This record gives sequence, C-alpha cells and structure tokens, in this order.
Amino acid sequence: MTSGQFELAPRPVLQPVEQTGRIDWFSDLASQLEYTVMTRNVTKVYRMGAETIHALRDVSLEIRCGEYISIMGPSGSGKTTLFNCVGGLIKPTSGSVFIDEIDVAQLDANELAWLRCRKIGYIFQSYNIIKVMTALENVTLPMLFAGVPGDEAQDRAVAILSRVGLGDRVLHTPRELSGGQQQRVAIARAFANNPAIILADEPTANLDLHTGEEIIHLMKEMNVEHGVTVFCSTHDHKMLAMSDRIVWIDDGRIKRIATRDEVQIDVDVLEEHK
Amino acid sequence: MPVTEWEIGKLHLRPALVWAMALSSLKVRLARAMLTTLTIATATAFMMYLLTMARKEDAAATDRQSWTLMLVLSLVVASAGVLNAMLMSVAQRYREIGTMKCLGALDSLVFSSVLLEAAMLGLVGAAVGVVAGTVIAVVMGLVEFGAGVLARMSPALWPLHVLGVFLVGMALTTIGAAIPAYVASRMAPVEAMRGEK
Repeated sequence: MTSGQFELAPRPVLQPVEQTGRIDWFSDLASQLEYTVMTRNVTKVYRMGAETIHALRDVSLEIRCGEYISIMGPSGSGKTTLFNCVGGLIKPTSGSVFIDEIDVAQLDANELAWLRCRKIGYIFQSYNIIKVMTALENVTLPMLFAGVPGDEAQDRAVAILSRVGLGDRVLHTPRELSGGQQQRVAIARAFANNPAIILADEPTANLDLHTGEEIIHLMKEMNVEHGVTVFCSTHDHKMLAMSDRIVWIDDGRIKRIATRDEVQIDVDVLEEHK
Repeated sequence: MPVTEWEIGKLHLRPALVWAMALSSLKVRLARAMLTTLTIATATAFMMYLLTMARKEDAAATDRQSWTLMLVLSLVVASAGVLNAMLMSVAQRYREIGTMKCLGALDSLVFSSVLLEAAMLGLVGAAVGVVAGTVIAVVMGLVEFGAGVLARMSPALWPLHVLGVFLVGMALTTIGAAIPAYVASRMAPVEAMRGEK
C-alpha cells in the first residue's frame, strides 16, 4: 500500500484546486459554489433547574463548500453547542441548520445516522477512539456502518492511516498510541467515508504545542487534498493562519467574522506599533 | 463516489454486521464476558441441580414444598446476579456507543448487537450451568445415597429441564442487556459520549 495515494476521490468541484495548491475562496471560483452549511437564527437554551442558560443566541452562519473555518471563543461561549447543532448531534431550541440545503431538523433517526455516517466526519477534543479496538478497526468502523464490504474497508483504512502517518501502527490499540497519534487515528476515521464536512471540536486542546501544530497542518492538508469543508472550534491562535475565515463567538453570539487576510492585517498593524 | 449533488440516503441494518459486532465485542472484552458467563453458569447450575434432584411423586409434601421454595429462590438469585452483570457490562459502554452513533451506527444496530451478544453469553453460560448442575446433582446423590439414587431421578424429564434452564438463562441475559442497550441506543450521541448515567 503506497501512502498518500489512497483512492478516495476528492470532491469533483475542487479538482482544479489540487493543481493550484491554494484555495482562494474569495475569487470567482467561490461564486460557483454553494454554501455547504447554513445556520439560521440558531438558538439553544438549556434549563438547569430554575436557571436558563442561553448557549446560543440567534446564530446565523454560512460556510462555503471547501472552506476551512475556525470558531474562536472562550470556554462556555457556545462553540461546542454550535458544533453539535451543525453536526446534528443536538437539536437547536429554535432556528434551523441546513446541510447542503437540507434542513437537519426534518430528518428522521435513520437519515440522521446516514448524515453522520456519510456526510460528516467528527474529530473530538478527547479523541474518542474506541479503546478496545485497534487503529485499523476504529477507522474501518464508519465504513462498515456505511455498508462498505469488509475487505475494501480494511484496504481503505490502511491507506488512510498511512496517509496520516500511522502506516506502521495500524494494529496498535489506543493504549499503545500517544495523544497526537490517537488524534491522527481520529482524523483518519473522520475521513473514512470521504465526508463533505469535517467537524473538529478543539482537536488540539489536549495536545502539546508541537503536536497540536502537526495536527492542524494535517487537517489543512486533508482540507486542500479532498476539498472537504473543515469547521473547527479552537482556542488556538495558530489555527488562524490555516483558516479561510475565522468566526469569533462570545456568550452565544457571533461577535465577528473575518477572513484570514483581514486578520493578517490586524497582526501586521500590531507588529508595526511594537 | 462523492458528488456535489446528493440526497439523504438510508442506512440498512445488515445481520452480518450485527454478528460481527457482537462477536468482536465479546472477543475484545473476553475477561469481562467470561465473568458474566460464570455468573450465568452459577445461577443456572443451581437451578439445574434442583431440577435434577426433584423427587418423584411419592416424596413427602413438606419435601416438595421446600424444594419448590428453593427453586423460586434460585430464580430470584439468578435474576439479580445476571441482570446486575448485564446492566454493568452495557453501562460501561455508553461512551463507546455514543461514539459509534456519531460515526453513523443505527440505533437498531447498537441495540441488536448488544442483545445478540447477551444471548450468546446466556447460551454459553446456560450450557455450562446445565452440565455442572447435572453432574453435581448426580455425584452428590451417588455419594450420599448410593446407586439407588439413580432410580429416584427422572431422566424422562431431563430434556424438559434442560430446555427450561436454557430459556431462563438466555431470557435473563437478554432482558438484562435489553434495558440499558435500549436506553443507550436511544440516547443522543453527545449525551452517551459524556459516558455518565
């Protein structure tokens, strides 16, 4: 099995991108593309006894196909709640989430499972690798759920694991892998069914600086190679340089949305005033 | 394979995958599975022992009464032990089940594979229990009363007893697993992943 060249086809619309090696979503290419995720006035209210907590207030957001978008905000700002709403993991109290123009709230349990299986790849802060299974089994699992025959699923799993740099560790269990390696397994698993959207909830929060950076680079590479949309919540300012757009969220509201270039200007201004 | 134009599809519950998941779950948690099997085996062995020792019609009424009481007691003990073992073994897996649901496992896949696993444990446990219970009953009978005891036993009823014990063993394990498996399979994935409850 050669590494790097596993035959999960990139999304057709993005093939030109692979050749240019860089995505500029604000050029004319972007205008051809639809939004892959849209949230409309999403509000989520939790009731804890007598207290009501507004985790999200009126969040409306559009994410373009193939975009790498980072959600920044302090703990408790609603990042994870937004992430869970977009992923169809929880239902908003009001408002709607559309994935490729399909209202997630309209889906039944089976269709939601299909969506989670085929369209969305999840990466979690705490990796959530199934402890009793090897790296290979973990990556094979979503493909088996999707109905891919066992042999084919295994070949693909080996290929993807090689791609994320774990070609020599496919039979290791999470116990025998470091945090960074476990997160690589999680990335491989998220990409198993060639999803349209990767949802990553603080994927580097449990990792040291250097490993975190490697993980971010890997996610960005996969984003470019496969044209997959990456939606990533983070505390980590290093993420900004990788992102096409950055969304700041605080107290359940969107505070600011900026492109990488705009943020870069801010940084430059700061540098000048030093 | 991937397309920009797509519509929501359906996932199908495939029996082969249910089997594979139940078997792999047993394999990776072999020690735990053996412990559960032991609980089931002990419980069913006691029942089988009592059934094998069943006196014929000529036994005294008080004998028969205390025998029935023992049988009921053994059922209660077996239920408590087996239900507890199954509840624990599934409850430990909430996090894993939540993760699987995030990866696209159907509720029905989660539920049926846990149920199948429990039924297999019940089958093996009851098999061990039946053999152990019968052997113990016969050996103890022989030691205590000599060869005459064999005449007092009723081999004609033996198949019926075996069937009964198997049914009870498997029913207990499946019911014990069904309750937490149902809860876990219906739980929102994020909730299950928090791994509490």
